[in-house]
Amino acid sequence: MELSYPEKLTLIKLAELKRAKVEELVKESGLEQVAVMRALLGLQAKGLAKLHERSERVVKLTETGMKYAQIGLPEWRALKVLREKGKATLDDLKDVLSEDELKPIVGLLRREGWANVRKEDGKLVLEITEKGREASERPIDKALKLLAERGEVPVKEIEKLVPVNELKRRKIGEEDVITERVAEITEKGEELVKKGLELKKEVSVLTPELIKSGKWREVEFRKFDIKAPVRRIYPGKKQPYRAFLDKIRRRLIEMGFIEMTVDSLIETQFWNFDALFQPQNHPAREWTDTYQLKYPKVGSLPDEELVARVKAAHEHGGDTGSRGWGYVWSPERAMLLMPRAHGTALDARQLAKGVEIPGKYFTIQRVFRPDVLDRTHLIEFNQIDGFVVGEDLNFRHLLGILKRFAVEIAGAKKVKFLPDYYPFTEPSVQMSAYHPELGWVEFGGAGIFREEMTKALGIDVPVIAWGIGIDRLAMFKLGIDDIRYLFSYDLRWLREARLVW
Amino acid sequence: MPKFDVSKRDLERLVGKTFSVEEWEDLFLYAKCELDDVWEENGEIYFKADSKDTNRPDLWSAEGIARQIRFALGFQKGLPKYEIEKSDVVVYVDEKLKDIRPYGVYAIVEGLNIDEEALRQMINLQEKVALTFGRRRREVAIGIFDFDKVKPPIYYRAAEKTEKFVPLGYDEEMTLEEILEKHEKGREYGHLIKDKPYYPLLVDSEGKVLSMPPVINSETTGRVTTETKNVFVDITGWDLNKVMLALNVVVTALAERGGKIKSVKVVYPDFEIETPDLTPKEFEVELDYIRKLAGLELSDGEIKELLERMMYEVELENRRAKLRYPAFRDDIMHARDVLEDVLIAYGYNEIEPEEPKLAVQGRGDKFIEFEDAVRELMVGFGLQEVMTFNLTNREAQYDRMNLPCGEHQEECRDYFNHPPAELVEIENPISPKWSALRNWLIPSLLDFLSQNTHEEYPQKLFEVGKATLIDESRETKTVSESKLAVALAHPRVTFTEAKEILEGVMRHLGFEYELEEAEHPSFIPGRVGKIIVNGETIGVIGEIHPAVLENWGIEMPVAAFELFLAPLYTEPYL
Repeated sequence: MELSYPEKLTLIKLAELKRAKVEELVKESGLEQVAVMRALLGLQAKGLAKLHERSERVVKLTETGMKYAQIGLPEWRALKVLREKGKATLDDLKDVLSEDELKPIVGLLRREGWANVRKEDGKLVLEITEKGREASERPIDKALKLLAERGEVPVKEIEKLVPVNELKRRKIGEEDVITERVAEITEKGEELVKKGLELKKEVSVLTPELIKSGKWREVEFRKFDIKAPVRRIYPGKKQPYRAFLDKIRRRLIEMGFIEMTVDSLIETQFWNFDALFQPQNHPAREWTDTYQLKYPKVGSLPDEELVARVKAAHEHGGDTGSRGWGYVWSPERAMLLMPRAHGTALDARQLAKGVEIPGKYFTIQRVFRPDVLDRTHLIEFNQIDGFVVGEDLNFRHLLGILKRFAVEIAGAKKVKFLPDYYPFTEPSVQMSAYHPELGWVEFGGAGIFREEMTKALGIDVPVIAWGIGIDRLAMFKLGIDDIRYLFSYDLRWLREARLVW
Repeated sequence: MPKFDVSKRDLERLVGKTFSVEEWEDLFLYAKCELDDVWEENGEIYFKADSKDTNRPDLWSAEGIARQIRFALGFQKGLPKYEIEKSDVVVYVDEKLKDIRPYGVYAIVEGLNIDEEALRQMINLQEKVALTFGRRRREVAIGIFDFDKVKPPIYYRAAEKTEKFVPLGYDEEMTLEEILEKHEKGREYGHLIKDKPYYPLLVDSEGKVLSMPPVINSETTGRVTTETKNVFVDITGWDLNKVMLALNVVVTALAERGGKIKSVKVVYPDFEIETPDLTPKEFEVELDYIRKLAGLELSDGEIKELLERMMYEVELENRRAKLRYPAFRDDIMHARDVLEDVLIAYGYNEIEPEEPKLAVQGRGDKFIEFEDAVRELMVGFGLQEVMTFNLTNREAQYDRMNLPCGEHQEECRDYFNHPPAELVEIENPISPKWSALRNWLIPSLLDFLSQNTHEEYPQKLFEVGKATLIDESRETKTVSESKLAVALAHPRVTFTEAKEILEGVMRHLGFEYELEEAEHPSFIPGRVGKIIVNGETIGVIGEIHPAVLENWGIEMPVAAFELFLAPLYTEPYL
């Protein structure tokens, strides 16, 4: 049977006493009153002890009573003066009696028959009687003594001496009800003690001293309420959306993609549009749809040969087998700077720089669009896209790559493909993936880069461009319906957000 | 990109067959459209069509969609045929329009039976073509008139700004100038001609005004209703090919409704043409090119059949296909464009996807992996990662940081690059709040703290993000450097706590660093320093100045540091 340290100690003491008041056990064990009570209740619950409670009316000594016990009752103090002097005026008693005590003293002495009263020269004079000279301890004196000794005395006992009312009237005692708790050991308790109880000291904290000294062997650990509530604490944590992007990045690398980076968030229109065969009068390049910089305004163009090929592709197709857009291409327009609007700009840069063939490339890029920030639009966001380049790539491969993304990243079982349009790809595809919980989600777009673009950049084999839209997926994963929370400025949400893995 | 509503009943009337909504969803794909939405209105089913191709205006109305679907389903094959009859109508174009809006092309369509739905499609097509294909009417503006109210010959001429007519929607005459100022359309499109010495005007032989291209039609002739039987179409712009194409799109759409096309002679000062010209265009492709890129085993005959369903006339010859395609298309620049049509006719969802087997190995960027390691370390210090916007504004970067420099770049000072004196700013921001790219990160963290003053402290944040700086040596004149920024906010925070973390970072990255006292108004004097590694200043650390905290509305002390990560990077072997 598991007994706590106070339980064991109390039981051992109780075994010695057999039956004892709680106060006695407090004295014997040296434990706090509360600890003894808790131990006794515990012992009772385990059938090792019984706790009896008894109520009793008692008389308690008052403060006045305590004073009388020390300096004597007023009548005794007055009598002492009379015994010395034979007679006395009230003035003579002022030394031994307080103002309050002075008034009723004449009545008291006369009732006891200890003095006679008469008037001399208009003053009251007290004169001691024979009875006064011989007076000795009365029942009320005994009662006071008893009270002074014990503090409180059962009414029954006091009533044998004086009526309780008399003590109350004289403000010596007052009546009260006390509850007395008496503990008694049971047979089972005695047997347990006989078998021997190992008594160890209880501690609440395991201190280094206890470990060092080895004293931990001699103590018991106070039981904890393991269900008690605790404080809420917040770990250091990665930003949930960024953690989600990290995860996709790892997955893409596992799938064989090489990561592309770039040195600035700013791009020239050349790489953002022109190198992608997007004509300079394309609606997406209008002032309202494309940011322009106030400072710095213009950047520079890459090497002349490349620029000449891009210019030719736009104007008449150059040697790309195309008739081109048929307009005069402006290098000044291409030099304008803007915050990068799509990750595809990196594809163009990488293709111009040179690529491994076959090769698979990706980038996770921060891009910017002139939009209004609200619960469904961001002004800057992350785009995941890239390309696959290889000698014999075809349209079926493009669908295969897209489908793989849907399976690997969206957990989709079904996909469907729709014709789409991008200025830089032909043919172009949009993919919807069937997400187990979201239903059909527009998940990505792809196409084979136009030859007008790839040939101008110096690549002679098919290049499949792809991009995947993961925002809805991320929002679902993070349990949010406001897209702004992807870049959350809400610390509580960040603190409470579940881990992404 | 263009989106428009079509009625199911109208489409089915044009196709000649009825289908279920699900079937329509698939049929739309043949016309490069996505069925965006379906709803019922007055007992009729309507679809929202989202047309994907910005270079196929012929697919931007019910007539065009229905035509393509009719061919795709094999109800018709090869080239769509339209009869053109010559009319004796002549339009004379004024020489003075050369630098104002030089080209106008015209046609008459007779015998129309226009109901509400047909009228709706006509207006929709006109709007979409002028908006998207015509670049908001700059390159193409379209007018359609009740031909019975017009007395040919017709004159497209340069007019004085004081000439008058009643614009559509008004009941009194206004001068051309007044129309640009007061009329709704005048205010919207007036900028296209405002600075010209004359304004373009289309008038008939009696001097009745048809329209002021590209702004507004006249009330008298420019209102087409369900009563209208015969229409006169006017297209103006800057490029003859482009306006001719738009004219073809519009007249063939009207012909799909049973209209009879009649051509018009247009007399320019130096030449004349008969418009519209619906002569098919030609292109040639190698069949092997199509097969190879499609990845499909297609016979020559199969390719021919697929192309005929996409409205091509095909002649096979020597493993090549000689193609003739409709004059309402102008998007075929390369064999790739033909390839896509073959694939769309075949059906994207009928093609078995195949993953390419490529012997390649993935690899992550090493610097990004270094950033990730730093982020792990910061999380280990118990800091919460945040991801904030790069877009910000001048006030947040300087003024609020107690570094006032007003509106002018030249007045900003450089504080050892934290921040630098120069800021990358956007000319045409949507909001002044997002009008620059940040050049240091601590303001972003203070912005974050200012939005969370009601949250429990301590608040300890970090971000690994970009600061965009000017660098004249680069192609983009800028560089976005990777940085680590830390902000600690709680009642007892001091410089020491920030320094403890900084020191932890340096120790774990294996770098010795020094702090040098610095003067910097964003921080409390005497509690700010430059972070120096290998003799180079790479960052700043300090207690944020109470004036700055007040500017951000933060009532809690903040200690922070920020540094460039590149100087702490060493390339790993692995």
